[in-house]
This record gives sequence, C-alpha cells and structure tokens, in this order.
Amino acid sequence: MARILVVEDDRDLNRAYGIILKHAGHQVETAFDGQEALERLDGFEPDLILLDLLMPVMGGLEFLQQWSVPKRNKAVKVLIFTNMENSPEVAEAYKLGAYRCIIKSWTAPHNLAKVVEDTLKANNGKTAAAVKTKAK
Amino acid sequence: MAAHDDLSRGPKFTVHEQRAEAEALFTSIGDGAISTDEFGRITRVNPAAQQLLGYDEDELLGTWFPKKIMSVTFDDEPINLIDRPITKAFLTGKPVSEKTYYRHKDGRRIAMSVNASPILLRGKPLGAIEVFRDITFEQEVDRMKSEFISLASHQLRTPLSAIKTYAHMLFDGYMGPLKRSQKQTLKSIIGATDRMNELISTLLNITRIESGTIDVTPKLLRLDKLADEVIKELSLMASGKSINLNASVKGKAPASLRTDALIVKEVMTNLVSNAIKYTPDGGKVSLVVRPRQADVVVEVRDSGWGIPKYAQDQIFSKFFRAHNIVKRETTGTGLGLYLVKGLLEALGGSIWFVSDEEKGTTFFFSLPRKRRLTRAAKIAPEN
Repeated sequence: MARILVVEDDRDLNRAYGIILKHAGHQVETAFDGQEALERLDGFEPDLILLDLLMPVMGGLEFLQQWSVPKRNKAVKVLIFTNMENSPEVAEAYKLGAYRCIIKSWTAPHNLAKVVEDTLKANNGKTAAAVKTKAK
Repeated sequence: MAAHDDLSRGPKFTVHEQRAEAEALFTSIGDGAISTDEFGRITRVNPAAQQLLGYDEDELLGTWFPKKIMSVTFDDEPINLIDRPITKAFLTGKPVSEKTYYRHKDGRRIAMSVNASPILLRGKPLGAIEVFRDITFEQEVDRMKSEFISLASHQLRTPLSAIKTYAHMLFDGYMGPLKRSQKQTLKSIIGATDRMNELISTLLNITRIESGTIDVTPKLLRLDKLADEVIKELSLMASGKSINLNASVKGKAPASLRTDALIVKEVMTNLVSNAIKYTPDGGKVSLVVRPRQADVVVEVRDSGWGIPKYAQDQIFSKFFRAHNIVKRETTGTGLGLYLVKGLLEALGGSIWFVSDEEKGTTFFFSLPRKRRLTRAAKIAPEN
C-alpha cells in the first residue's frame, strides 16, 4: 500500500481516481488545485502525487515550482495526468521533476492502477519516507 | 487624343520607354521585390523591399543578396545559400515559395513569405527575382488560433475523460458485476469516446502543423522497437478482423536515428490502423523497417481494397476519402493521411505509396538520418 495525493480540479475525475486507487489498496488524499495540494502536504507525506496541469487557483506547474523549493522529498514521484498532449507545459513539468506524463483521455482505470504500481516500483517498493530516511 | 496616344504606343514604344515602364512596374509592387544577376548580385530593389529590410537602395545595389540580407530559421540559425529560395529558383529554373525569416538592418528578425522565380531569356537563366512580404501578423493570428484550439481541445477532453473513466470502471466491475448486454453497451460507449479522442488529437495536430507550431523533440529512437510497440498496441484491432499483423526489419544499417518518437509513433499507428481498417477480414498487414545509409524507410503493406487510380493524386488532401472506402468504412474523417504527411514533413521526412485496387496498398515513409529544419516545425532543444 502506498500513500497517494490526487490533485485534479474536475470533481468527477478526482472522485474516479480516488475510487480506482483505493480499490488497488492505496491510501488516497485529494486536492482540487495546486494551492490545496500544498496545504495537504503539510500533514500528509505521499509516495506519489497524481497531478493535473491545468487547474484554477494554482496549476500543476506552479505547484511544482512552489513545492520543489525547499520542501520537496525527491523520492516522491510525480505523475502528470493531463490532456495537454505534446505541449510545452508537459516539457516544463519534466524539467520541474515530473517522473512521467500520462494522457488522461487515453488511460483506462486498470492502466492508471498499473502506471501507479510501476512508478512506485521505481523506489524498489520502499515508501518515499523510507527512501528519504535512508538518504539522510 | 488619348485614344490616339494609346494606339500610337505599341510597336513604336522606344526601348527607353519600355525600360521606364518596367521600372515603374517594379517600383509599384506592393510587396518587397529584389532582383539579382546570375551571380546573386542585387540589380534592382523596390521601395517596399527597402522599407521592409531597412536599407536604402544604394546600400543594396551591387551587393551579394544572400550575404547582405541574412535569412534565418525559427531558431535563428543562418540558412545555407543553397537552401535559399532565390538560389533554388535560379538553379532549378522553377518558381519557389517558402516561409522564412529575414534579418532587418537593425537586427530584428521578420517572418516573411517569399516567392522566388528565375529570370529566363530564351530559356537561359539571367538571374532571379524574389518578392516577399511581412507575415508577422498572420503568424500571430495563427499562434492565437493554435492556442485557442489547444485550450478548446483540453476543455473538450476533460468531460470525455470522465465519461471514459466511469464507463471503464463500470465495465471493469468497480460498481458490481454486469450482464453481458450491459458490458456490450459500455464497450460501445468506450469505443465512441476513443473515436472522439482521436478526432480531437487529429484536429489539434493539424492546427499545429498548419500554424508551424508543432514541437519536434529529437531523441535517439529505435524504429524496430517502435514498430513492435505499434504492432502490439494494434494487435487487438487486427485480431478483431482476423488480420495477420507482423513487423520485421530488413537491412543491415542501424534501425535507430535521432527524431521525435511521439510523432513517428503517431505516423506509424495511423498508417497501420488505416491498413487494418481498409483490409477485409482474414487479410494481411505487415510493417517493415528498412534501415539505409542516409535514411530509414518504413513500409506498411496491406492486402486491402486499395486506392482507385482516380483518387491516387488526392489521397493526401484534407477531408478526401475515396468512394470505394466510404462505402465500406463510414467512420473515417479524411484527415489521417493529410496529418501523416504534415507530421513527416515536420521531421524532414517524406511519404509515398503504391496501390492496386482490390489487391492492396503499400505506404512508404522515409526519415533522414541527418536532421533537417523545416518551416513547419519548431525544434525543441535536445535533452
């Protein structure tokens, strides 16, 4: 089981991702924009963040800029979940440390669960908190 | 009196007068116009050209055109003499139309639409003439159009993603078990959302190509691996029609080259899914990667219905669909091959085909090993 923060402004999708990931056995917290996500990160240390790019109040890119300095735990993987295919925003997200980018409208639930699993395996199955502790 | 004057011109018109008339014609062209001799030295410049480029006539006459007026790419790299429209027009003896950037005297880069033609006297080239106009405003409109489509596509996709996700969740049993008929209905919903997604992607890519804002990110790509990936992804579609689908590599040169993987994948997927779509049940579709010294050629061969002779010239035109296909397959938009051609041109590649009606079609596309900049592509820095 991993700890996952879902940041998605569309309420229907946010709810759907929550159901899919909980069904796959993960602990899920949700936020509806970047600002809310930063607030959630004060009390919740995720292993993975599922991040939309285009959101009101604070978009995904601004969230990555603000979160990266100085609070970011590098072991927390960020999966960009967007419909902005081949866009400069996706390239920028990679520069800001995103691990992988997934096109929402092409991704079925079982694929979402699988991408999350594969991404978590990149930490050799360890939680982000464990990786961070070891790094210290 | 005036009529008499007009009648009296014609054959009695002196060489001096003819020259003055030609000069007046040249001067009054609203776009910039520059003519050169066979060595590329500027022989004439009209006022519009002087205004567009910031030079006086005296500063330009007699100078070597390609050196005096710098032409650069979107990335500000100088364009080689051999690739300049005026050189191509002079060397080929044919008119050339291109979009490029010219450097103004004050250093500014100005987007120009350029038409160059050879000046021929009894078939012998005496020089060339170039007519150009500032297209900065048009480019800005294109950019805004592209941004609008990008945003609109995103907004269209968000509800579509929700429909698709929930339909899949129902199908996968997240909300409890379903009857077979219910699953069949959900399959139709999912299929329709996939088609809508494809359409949005196609429209988005076409807008990017037409406005010259498609991003090309060159990275080392193994075409043989990509071919396997595409075959794997489309195997379900092929097995639905009992079509034998396979990929192979023929040739000893390396099958890898530096290009944009996402664009090439889009091209391959488009061609292979077209081949499956337009091949009758039980047919054969093969994807062959042929690495050569200067390029890699990819073949997509099918045993399908083929392209009728009358339609072969129009197959890459926007919205074109041949009648033998429209009768059998109603879901196409006629945008796929138009898009594929545009995408390949953005990578410096090319596409062609051979087809026999009722026997099948083979599409070939070639990607150069050496990256060439094209006017339709904005090349991103390599990572």
